[in-house]
Amino acid sequence: MKRERAEESEVRGECSNTGKGKKMCEEEEREDKLLAGVGYKVCSSDMADVAQKLQQLEMVMGEDGIPRLPTDTVHYDPTDLYGWVQNILTEINNNNDNAPNHNATTNALVPSPIIADSDNHLGAIPLPYVEAYPQAENQIENQNHYKRFKSSSSFSSSSPLSSAVSSISSENALPVVLVEETGVHLVHALMACAEAVQLGNASLAGALVKHAGALAASQGGSMGKVASFFAQALARKIYGFYPHETLDSPYSDTLHMHFYESSPYLKFAHFTANHAILEAVAAAETVHVIDFGLKQGLQWPALMQALAVRPGGPPAFRLTGIGPPRLDDADSDALSEVGSKLAELARTIKVRFEFRGLVCNSLADLDPSVLEIRPGESVAVNAVFELHRLLARPGAIEKVLAIIKRIKPEIVTVVEQEANHNGPVFLDRFTEALYYYSSLFDSLEGSSAAASEEALAMSEMYLGRQICNVVACEEEERVERHETLGQWRVRLGSAGLEPVRLGSNAFRQAKMLLGLFGEGDGYRVEENNGCLMLGWHTRPLVATSAWRLAPAEFTRWVRVRNMP
Amino acid sequence: MWHEQRGEEEKRRGRFFINDNVDILREILKRLDGPSLGVAACVCRLWCSLTRSDDSLWEHLCFRHVSSPPPASVRAVVVALGGYKRLYMVCVRPVLSRLGHSERVRKRVWTRHEVQLSLSLFCIDSYERLASGRLAGADASASSLMFLCNTVNV
Repeated sequence: MKRERAEESEVRGECSNTGKGKKMCEEEEREDKLLAGVGYKVCSSDMADVAQKLQQLEMVMGEDGIPRLPTDTVHYDPTDLYGWVQNILTEINNNNDNAPNHNATTNALVPSPIIADSDNHLGAIPLPYVEAYPQAENQIENQNHYKRFKSSSSFSSSSPLSSAVSSISSENALPVVLVEETGVHLVHALMACAEAVQLGNASLAGALVKHAGALAASQGGSMGKVASFFAQALARKIYGFYPHETLDSPYSDTLHMHFYESSPYLKFAHFTANHAILEAVAAAETVHVIDFGLKQGLQWPALMQALAVRPGGPPAFRLTGIGPPRLDDADSDALSEVGSKLAELARTIKVRFEFRGLVCNSLADLDPSVLEIRPGESVAVNAVFELHRLLARPGAIEKVLAIIKRIKPEIVTVVEQEANHNGPVFLDRFTEALYYYSSLFDSLEGSSAAASEEALAMSEMYLGRQICNVVACEEEERVERHETLGQWRVRLGSAGLEPVRLGSNAFRQAKMLLGLFGEGDGYRVEENNGCLMLGWHTRPLVATSAWRLAPAEFTRWVRVRNMP
Repeated sequence: MWHEQRGEEEKRRGRFFINDNVDILREILKRLDGPSLGVAACVCRLWCSLTRSDDSLWEHLCFRHVSSPPPASVRAVVVALGGYKRLYMVCVRPVLSRLGHSERVRKRVWTRHEVQLSLSLFCIDSYERLASGRLAGADASASSLMFLCNTVNV
């Protein structure tokens, strides 16, 4: 429609230039004589329109007065003021990649076209928020961030929340915003609140979080649920009520179990990691797996079964499971229970099995000698959603990577969330997390093979805890410091590990596993430079990668070992 | 009179009754597909006991369409984990029906990946049964293979 209007005005512009057009214009409406005297040709009836558009253009131009136009601008005839202003505005609105912030502020600043009678409209958000919208210092970060938003959002149209979030950053409409979609408004409210929190404006944040919470409660579906988790987390942050959920409990186990049941993410992680381990220890007589987060031990039955049917007979299988200390039980009880269950299974399928449970608060506290690596065994290190926790303490990840290198494993399997929730700026983290968890919640609800209502609710609680940690906690308490595959690649690469390609067999098996969850669903398995990623529609959510010691490290070790 | 004639003819020929020849019956049952085997179990007591007790029937069913026969060690593992009948009911049938279109299920050739996947899922199921069996009065309905039991809009 915009284009039609632009064409219309262009035609009109042409009309006003040619003699014929001039006659037409004079016949129907008179040109404004005063402007004509200065050289601009505007029909009198268009005057009000032009004035409004000039006002909008002024707002869009920004403080420095330079419109953010792309370099290949078409220069329109400025004498036809109506058409010229129209075209420039259209261009600026189409050019969202370069000026998302300003679009957003422009949208917020226009009060009148918004539905005035409803309580829930942007006008209700007091101006200080809008003016305090991040300017120069966060400009670049935000732009890059919104660029990512836009590029991924242009494809994903499945989930209401992610499309709502994306519509903020890529609004192609004219600056007049009709906030009809409550989803968009809900996201606006959450972001406004997060921003107020970032600026330290406690009273404003408090008001906004109540507003957001009310909206979330009235909104149904996955959008409402994820929004209410975020609103809750924001409330905790504002009022300083930090949850102390650092220690595990049987409740966490139940939540984890239900998450395992109702979605493919953990299964995908386990299957792909097992595949990498199997390939790496194919010829070994003794396999020793060190699991950095044992939980219920659900990964290991499948590995043991695969080892049992290996041609040539099963190797001896040693498992060292590491877990956190517990609130109620005696520390080692939970781990040894899992160990004995696995031992019974191993006995049934006739695999020689040995289990050891290690309790420690943080992986960085581990002493390699405690692991009791025996000569001649092939060691595999497995870290499923565990490494990111180490980023909370400075120096911890380096320590653990050094421990890993000392053990000299055949393979290190790492599964992590594919998101950057560890940036320095709170608002960026918040926005990333909002987008990430909304995709995750959409996938839980949207999957046709969804488990029972109970399992779904528990899985959502499980994720809700993570959300709370990302948003409300700080310093050492914030353990959910997710980083993207690219970031982990850099980190592990600089620590002396080299990537091992996961291979097409793993890819095929993962695809098959996802096929079991419903063919028409939105889950996608992608291969990314030797690593596998599981995502919902186009958004990758979980990434599996495999690593081993880089050859340089090996020779260094040999040299050190042989030193007198 | 016609009946008498017929009876005499049959006596002369020697009457063949399938239930007297259990080994032939077994061979025939081995070649049936899943639903037919289920139907066969309802025919009479002999057939029912055969299909229930003889796990090798189900073994043939599970791996009939595999392009290359599975290694010998698989049998020991499957038997230990609960048997081929359970493997078929819990894993193979849902996997086949979801990964292949239902009309082509019978003719579909399995790859070893599908075999591996089914075995892995079967093992996880056995592990969970073990785990829940040990805790007296635990909620036995929690199972990570529930997603296979639920109907899916394929």
